[in-house]
Amino acid sequence: MSFLQPILLIGLPLALLPIIIHLINQHRHRTVQWAAMMFLLDAKKLTKGIARLRQILILSLRVLAVLLLFFAASRPLAGGWLALTGGKPDTVLILLDRSASMEQQILETGESKRSAVVTKLADLLEKTAGGSNLVLIDSATLEPTPITDAAALSKLPQVAATATSANVPNLLQRAVDYLETDESGRTDIWLASDLRQSDWETGSGKWQTLRSDLSTRETVRLLLLNYSETESENFSISVSNVKRLRSPEGIQLVMDLRIRRQSANEGEVELPVEFTINGTRTIQEMTITGPELVRLGHTISLGQNNLNGWGRLDLPADGNLADNTAFLVFDDEAIRKTVIVSDDAITAQALVAAAKAPVEAGVTYETEIVTLDQLTRIPWDETALLFWHAPIPAKDSPISALLRQHVESGRTLVFLPPPDADSESLFGFQWKEWNETANEPFPIEWWRTGSGLLANTQSGEPLPVGDLSFFRTRDFGGEFQPLLRSESSAIFIAKITSETSGSVYAWGTLPRTDHSSLATEGVVFFVMIHRALEEGANAVATAQFRETGSEALVASGDAYTLIDSAGDSVMLSEEGLLPSAVKVEKPSGKDYFIAINRPPSEDDTRLVAPEALVSLFEGIDFRQVSDELDSGSSLASEVWRFFLIAMALALLAEAILSLPPRIEEPDVVHGFPKTQKSQDS
Amino acid sequence: MLGSVSGRHRSPVKGSALEFAQYRKYVPGDDTRRLDWRTWGRTDRYYIKEFEADTNLRQCFIVDTSGSMGYETTDTTRLDYARSIAGTLAYLTVHGGDAAGLYAGAKSEDGNIFQQELPPKRGGIHLGVLLDQIAQLKSGGETALIPAIHAAAEKIPQRAMIVIISDLLFDLDPLQEAFDHLRFRKHDVVLFHLLDREEIDFSFDRPTRFLDLEGGPSLLADPSLIQRKYREAVSDYLAQVDRIVNHSVIDYHRAFLDEPYEQVLARFLIGRNPKTARSAR
Repeated sequence: MSFLQPILLIGLPLALLPIIIHLINQHRHRTVQWAAMMFLLDAKKLTKGIARLRQILILSLRVLAVLLLFFAASRPLAGGWLALTGGKPDTVLILLDRSASMEQQILETGESKRSAVVTKLADLLEKTAGGSNLVLIDSATLEPTPITDAAALSKLPQVAATATSANVPNLLQRAVDYLETDESGRTDIWLASDLRQSDWETGSGKWQTLRSDLSTRETVRLLLLNYSETESENFSISVSNVKRLRSPEGIQLVMDLRIRRQSANEGEVELPVEFTINGTRTIQEMTITGPELVRLGHTISLGQNNLNGWGRLDLPADGNLADNTAFLVFDDEAIRKTVIVSDDAITAQALVAAAKAPVEAGVTYETEIVTLDQLTRIPWDETALLFWHAPIPAKDSPISALLRQHVESGRTLVFLPPPDADSESLFGFQWKEWNETANEPFPIEWWRTGSGLLANTQSGEPLPVGDLSFFRTRDFGGEFQPLLRSESSAIFIAKITSETSGSVYAWGTLPRTDHSSLATEGVVFFVMIHRALEEGANAVATAQFRETGSEALVASGDAYTLIDSAGDSVMLSEEGLLPSAVKVEKPSGKDYFIAINRPPSEDDTRLVAPEALVSLFEGIDFRQVSDELDSGSSLASEVWRFFLIAMALALLAEAILSLPPRIEEPDVVHGFPKTQKSQDS
Repeated sequence: MLGSVSGRHRSPVKGSALEFAQYRKYVPGDDTRRLDWRTWGRTDRYYIKEFEADTNLRQCFIVDTSGSMGYETTDTTRLDYARSIAGTLAYLTVHGGDAAGLYAGAKSEDGNIFQQELPPKRGGIHLGVLLDQIAQLKSGGETALIPAIHAAAEKIPQRAMIVIISDLLFDLDPLQEAFDHLRFRKHDVVLFHLLDREEIDFSFDRPTRFLDLEGGPSLLADPSLIQRKYREAVSDYLAQVDRIVNHSVIDYHRAFLDEPYEQVLARFLIGRNPKTARSAR
């Protein structure tokens, strides 16, 4: 607890005054010669326990009243009710969720959740954490930033609005790392978030590690500051599958447009959507009924000359400004190039057949088979999808570095099981033992239909995965997200978890008839390959779509020019964090465009359930502070009133206890008992 | 009262004396000398003429001289008050031709119960000695009234009026037995119970250290905390006294030290006169 007038606390020893006065009074008693000691002894014996307790209570209340008076006069500050139980920490770590959803605001005041967090935390820390070491870690950069002046917190670029997504487990892990490296002493971790499910990844295995890390630190207290959802109506816009088509009428831009509504009202609304293509602005009125408007294949005519360029779609200001803009870029379609590294001709041919089959008209599909002794022939720059049917290269080998670079640049890598034993690992992934069945195929129990290579079709129809048969599979280890599992819990297909922008998959079988029916039951095989190819194709296209994040522009590695952004004036540190259109200039002269948009997961409004939250922080010294955007209350407030009221209550209780016993008509009247008096009369 | 000499006090025994009492029928065995021949002459029946016989009084004072009798009010001590009552009554008794004696004391180190012991006698010289002894009474030590009563009951061989003057500030349980002992010896028992109003009301208003007049440990107490219980204890005590004196048919007089002792004595004397007592009732 902090005090605005701590000097007055010097007077606290005066709380002993009631005790001193009591002792003085005890010594100032009169002395009398007394005959009727027998009555005194009886009375004293009868009242000993209660009277003593009463006296102790009265004295305690008097001491308490004086203490509370001095506390009230010292003008104590409390960070809500929390600070009442803890002193000043040595270090305060602020973990700030800067995701797009934190920009939810109250329309009247323009105050967003993020700005409220920053303002209130700055106020709290200024008042209560003087002398503490303040460090900010934001979800967009994950970089610890020391703060010298709490009041200046709101002016730091690290607390500015972004349209990124947040990864709360990563944010907490970064805090744990900071605690590991810095001797931070007693630490308060303020985690400010809006509890969006997509940001918290409650199913992630990282939580287990975090719990064990944080629960062993007895000097760390976790304070979760969260804001409930506002009632402001909000619309969010996103764009996908942007294609530039040529037709006899001219050049056309085709896209899938999605507008989501977050509102209690689901009636019909006319919404003006502003389209800006290569600087030319048009407005289209769109009618929304229900929670969502989806326009697949929305077409905009580009005339005859706009072969490439950029565009942005804007919604009017509403309950969240961070999801009102979506950027797009367009250019010639990229060549979908697949490279298969394999010495097995059957496998390679099956892959080539599927990868070369066109999905879209006007798009070129190329494949190339490279044997293990020809690895130098791999055209890394042009490859969108790489099948690695070979032993995993040694960690420090050049080919290992190239594979890593391939994935980090946003392309796709699929590991296929090599025939021989293999003990090396990459991305934490490692091959294990072969399994095979003589007669009946391994029964399939489950596959992931929500996302990934085996997800349902756009119309919601599931792929015929159940028709597949697996006879020979190879186990693998590492951290991964299962996509296909057998009844014996063996994983046949999985997405390897890696911190790269590209995807890494592991297939535990081969498209050979002695291994599986992948090639013969071709639908699933074909879809899987083209989905993997599509993921990697964006990285080789000259019109690329990326998600906001600190790595959004760094990954390109080349000089770039910001064409347009959702922010008013974008600082260098904010590039990549806000929706924007960027032109990258390559030394080869092969320039390309990048559209950076917020991750679609930010439009998911589901929140972490309170029970889930409790289980996430089980075993950790954790408290939750829930606040409202329009509460107007401060996290740090003067609590002298509390002390004053407590003092008044103490004095009241003291007065009640000090009241003389109820005056009763004594049985003795003028020295005679009533009975005697009546007898006399 | 019965006695061996003629005194001022009317005897409960009817006999031959100067003052006529009543006639009653003759029954065989009566002294024929007491037949009233005049009545026989008028009525031809035998009547015995009876007269009230006067007798002398033996009055013994048992005065409690324990430490608690030294309790002092603004202008007197409890023992002074006891002296006044005993002295006055002794004077009246002896001047009335009756005998008076004194048994006074408390528990002493040598085991003696009585500080002063003077058997009842008549005469002016004896009165002088008795008053001297009453004047020399000193308070101190623990109370020994109960053994004193028992001892006095054994020492006084003839029926007498036993006047007990005490504050009765001790355990009252054995008191009933002591009174019964006196009653068994056919003594007429009078009890003057001396109390101070402060002892009853307990109206102290600030912490006070109470020093025991009988040498017990002192006690520091906040009167406001124990006043209620103290009064309850006093009330119970007085009720117990009432029960004992009623049961033993004791002539009981409660006296407060701020009350003139003359009033107390007047109340006592009026109560003892059958005529005035009847009219008072």
